[in-house]
Amino acid sequence: MPIDFPTRGRKPSPGAGISSVGLSARPGTILLSALFLAVFLLSGCAAMNGLRDGSAPLEVHPETSLERNVFPVVKGGDVVGRLAVVRVEKGDTLPDIARHFSLGVNALGAANPGVDMWLPKAGECVTLPLRFILPDAPRKGIVINLASMRLFHYRGDKRSPVVATYPVGVGTDERPTPTGQMRVVRKVTRPTWYVPASIAEDHRKKGDILPPAVLPGPLNPLGEHALYLSRSTYLIHGTNKPASIGLNATNGCLRLYPEDVKRLYEGTPVNTPVCIVDQPYLVGQRNGIVYLEVHASAEDTDAGELKKMYGKLKAIEKKTGRAFDREKIDKVLAEARGVPVPIFETEQGRWVEQTIEVRHPDKLSGRPEMPELKTGAWYVWAADLDDRTEALRLAAIINHQGPQIPARVLSKGSGYRVVAGPFKDAGEARGAAGRLKFDLEIDGVIIEPSLGK
Amino acid sequence: MKRIFLGVSLVLFLALALGGCATTGDLEQVQAQGKVIDAKADQAIQDAQAAKASANEAQAKADAAAARAEEAVKKAEAREQVAAEKEERAQALFQKSMKK
Repeated sequence: MPIDFPTRGRKPSPGAGISSVGLSARPGTILLSALFLAVFLLSGCAAMNGLRDGSAPLEVHPETSLERNVFPVVKGGDVVGRLAVVRVEKGDTLPDIARHFSLGVNALGAANPGVDMWLPKAGECVTLPLRFILPDAPRKGIVINLASMRLFHYRGDKRSPVVATYPVGVGTDERPTPTGQMRVVRKVTRPTWYVPASIAEDHRKKGDILPPAVLPGPLNPLGEHALYLSRSTYLIHGTNKPASIGLNATNGCLRLYPEDVKRLYEGTPVNTPVCIVDQPYLVGQRNGIVYLEVHASAEDTDAGELKKMYGKLKAIEKKTGRAFDREKIDKVLAEARGVPVPIFETEQGRWVEQTIEVRHPDKLSGRPEMPELKTGAWYVWAADLDDRTEALRLAAIINHQGPQIPARVLSKGSGYRVVAGPFKDAGEARGAAGRLKFDLEIDGVIIEPSLGK
Repeated sequence: MKRIFLGVSLVLFLALALGGCATTGDLEQVQAQGKVIDAKADQAIQDAQAAKASANEAQAKADAAAARAEEAVKKAEAREQVAAEKEERAQALFQKSMKK
């Protein structure tokens, strides 16, 4: 019997509500339950992880009303967007929530310490860190802050400038993304990926022979759009691994979600300047409030950036004639949640900017689909595990591979079995088994279709 | 005068004679009370000893429960540690799988 595996955002089934018979039978119990539920629901998001602004109960908004990407840029202001929270539903994962709200998984994880990336608890409130401090760089063309793993595209005319911002995946420690000033030299839709020798060698060592070029399609890691930069071999491109956005996972290129790179591609002409910076400490002001945003990558950054941050804060102190609360600054530095935290009001009474709660969407966009089990299909056994959590986590990770490998958990005696599939033929099953081996070090076993089906 | 003296002496004699009888009764009563008190003391000592034994037993039970709780906490911590390590390993593997 299959155990409950994460499913799409389900609506309540007909008749699942409280019946009139139930109400007349035990009105007291139902009223009490309703009261407890209301208290739980109200307190859930109120007692979050300390990031929300204000203490009043959160206003609940439709999620579609929450702007994720495009914000007006106000003169003299360097903070855009707002914080929001959403309540987790059964079967959600942080990568799914991140993609739906155009956030990187790193940003969502850092803003919600202690929340399981793959198995967050239903009903748990997660903060959507959709408030950003613009990097300290000229507001022209594309600016990418490697520390926040976010791209800022300045657009619009001088009268009404706007910034479109998207999360990105960046290079690893071994193959970092270079910083500096560059420009877009060409744009290509459905690009072919010419496999760099270093990557071909990495794969060859693990017994995976890559072709010299990968044509457009689901196996092409560049996705559907690519912006080639003046710094040779570096690109801003899409991806076939959307769950990698917000991770140090590239060979120096910059990856965006497919839907984001499409918009960036359409709005970016050739010769657009591209400035790549690495600023883990960001200081910004909006409406008389000073914000400080610190990213975890700050640990690896030289002291110069920290010195620069203190310099900015001292300048504000001098200008206002009032001192900052050092403890508050130390706390933001220690927590490094990557969220702009209000640390100071330059004018009295400006303190609170309200966090909002957004309703969970019916469906998280881009979430991997789960095909139904078919007796006549091919499968790949991935693992037998005693621990249900471990099994569900493994299935979720397999499901979020790019391209997706559907996987689910089946109960097996007192344990749990993780099975990938269904696959339409032996070739597809072998391909999936090969990817499980190469990417996740799983020695899968191919399961043939049942005879006679 | 002699008569008065004699009368007083008689009264005193009678008082002394009667008083002597009361002291004997009192003695018996005291003895009886002593026995009661003695029995009560024995009972109290027994009760105290029983209470002490019971308290010792309760303390031993509490100590055992505390030890069990400590053991359970240690086990839970160990389980949490293992779970955290598993989660970390899974995450590291996932991150690696997201490379080209």
